[in-house]
Amino acid sequence: MAVNPEALYAAHQHRLFKYFCRAVGQTETARDLTQDVFLRVSRTTIPVAADGEVRAWLFQIARNLALDHHRKRLRHPEPSVLMDEGARLPSQDVDLAVNEALAALADLDRDVFLMREVAGLGYEEIGRACGLTPDAVRSRIHRARLQLREHLTSPIATRRTMPMRQSGRQP
Amino acid sequence: MSDTHEVISAFLDDEPFNSSELAEALGEPAGRDLLIDLIALRHLAQTDGKEPLALRAQKPWRSSLRAIAAVAAVLVALVGGYLVGERRSDVAMSAAPPATRVVQVPAAWQDVTSGRMQ
Repeated sequence: MAVNPEALYAAHQHRLFKYFCRAVGQTETARDLTQDVFLRVSRTTIPVAADGEVRAWLFQIARNLALDHHRKRLRHPEPSVLMDEGARLPSQDVDLAVNEALAALADLDRDVFLMREVAGLGYEEIGRACGLTPDAVRSRIHRARLQLREHLTSPIATRRTMPMRQSGRQP
Repeated sequence: MSDTHEVISAFLDDEPFNSSELAEALGEPAGRDLLIDLIALRHLAQTDGKEPLALRAQKPWRSSLRAIAAVAAVLVALVGGYLVGERRSDVAMSAAPPATRVVQVPAAWQDVTSGRMQ
């Protein structure tokens, strides 16, 4: 049974986009990289496998693209502009803090964390995408969480005062 | 805390976990605190991807504009040059060019018979 690239795009583009938004911290770049994933998919044979395996395969491509992007940024750093503090919304300040905390993590720890928290992948899928065992994924996710908790003490304390759901979706 | 509380991460992620380990972890105030912090962190990490992020790399739109302006200038020069050249060649074909030098005939003009120079 051949897998239709359009159907794959429709099913996974949103979670890939969200992953890239946090992985690269720029909405426009995230959009471009999401397109790039499917450009690569269109040039290759899509594996005929269970949903989870296809998702892991897509995220493996996405991770490679994000790493390439980071390498390019290191070689040719772009000037970054910080928006005027008065013009920023409080939620944008939090976004900025989260992105900075994520950037301080090791690449692999950041990726496993984002694949779990933002893209909603299971440990097995993340393990396939990153070449790790599920136990290693569990350890790395926990380690990333502890590091982020340390970096984001104040936003976490603020968030704790608001209603929450275990899923992280807005109540 | 990192190793003993991994079970909290597994529980939070709906992954298989050991219930007695979880009970032990949540029996401590630090474990309960961690669970709530990790849920708050989950809320912070999730993004709908619609909001413009505060820290953005400057898009190289200025350099793009410069490149477009340079291409436009070259195009204008080429088209202008072509049109000017076209006009000049029309003039050259339809009319004789004005004389650049006029040779005056001397006042004392003489016919000399060939072969008998004095």
